[in-house]
Amino acid sequence: MHIMEGFLPLQWCIVWWIIALPCLMFGIYQLKKLVDLDREALPLLGVTGGFIFILSSLKLPSVTGSCSHPTGTGLSTISFGPWITSVICMIVLLFQSLFLAHGGLSVLGANIVSMGIVGPLVGYGIYRLLRDTPVNIYITVFLVSALADMFTYVTTSLELALAYPAETGGVVSSFILFMGIFALTQVPLAIVEGIILALVFKYIVALKPDILIRLKIFSEKQINAARTDN
Amino acid sequence: MRQGLTTKMAYRYTLEILAVIAVVAFCALFLYTETSTNGAEFAGSDDAASQLVANLTGTSLENFHPVIPQWEPPSGEIESSLFALQAAIGGILVGGIFGYWIGQKKKA
Repeated sequence: MHIMEGFLPLQWCIVWWIIALPCLMFGIYQLKKLVDLDREALPLLGVTGGFIFILSSLKLPSVTGSCSHPTGTGLSTISFGPWITSVICMIVLLFQSLFLAHGGLSVLGANIVSMGIVGPLVGYGIYRLLRDTPVNIYITVFLVSALADMFTYVTTSLELALAYPAETGGVVSSFILFMGIFALTQVPLAIVEGIILALVFKYIVALKPDILIRLKIFSEKQINAARTDN
Repeated sequence: MRQGLTTKMAYRYTLEILAVIAVVAFCALFLYTETSTNGAEFAGSDDAASQLVANLTGTSLENFHPVIPQWEPPSGEIESSLFALQAAIGGILVGGIFGYWIGQKKKA
């Protein structure tokens, strides 16, 4: 999902930075509040952030004959919401810009918007939609993780299409072209990521149900049902 | 009786079983793609997108220059070691904290 350094015109770099900055500032504010008020939640932040580090470093082969990586943002989105997740994504993407030449400082804003903001926001929307329904919590985690991953790549495609509309057909037809590269490659990866993160969530439920209940991520009833059922 | 136990075990480990199936299916899909697609290079989709940008604008890839100068890993070896470092940071966090939680649970 990285847009490479130099591959986005300057005006678009600025647009995406302007969108990313307030989200990041709100995320940093929320993060500071969390660190000040609830030190018990920090290990959960470490685990969910750790998975973003791990999964976004794995470049996996896919059906289109090219490689792509999962995003791992689902767990953090469910636990802490999209804004704190975008701060963690910023750290990962900054590491990759500085040391790996994946993405770059000028396109960092655009990459934060796709991986750290739109993906997690879509995931968070699904979580809020399903949280108070009888849907099994692991299915919720699966859908949130898989769709946060998918929509990260849809957003990257849109960012590139807006900057490079095709001569015939404009933004729409170049969006379809970029989706052909990103979204298709991502479908199997998103499904696998969703299942793996649901499995990880099962272990968090088994070890630290109290934190999940206290942070009101799921209700006590849902957590207890998930524990005896699994 | 035995039947009941097996069903119960299968139910208890549904997610583990699904994860194994997903990983195996993923590998099978990879092997299938590798053998059936002639000349599948498994390059990064990021690079494929950059190539498409070059095609859409009619400029060759060499004409795109970083807006902000950046350091590039001088070889694939160095790049992969830095990627491994990224995964290791995540792995230490996850492993360390899960261990801490298991310790806490045992103590309680």
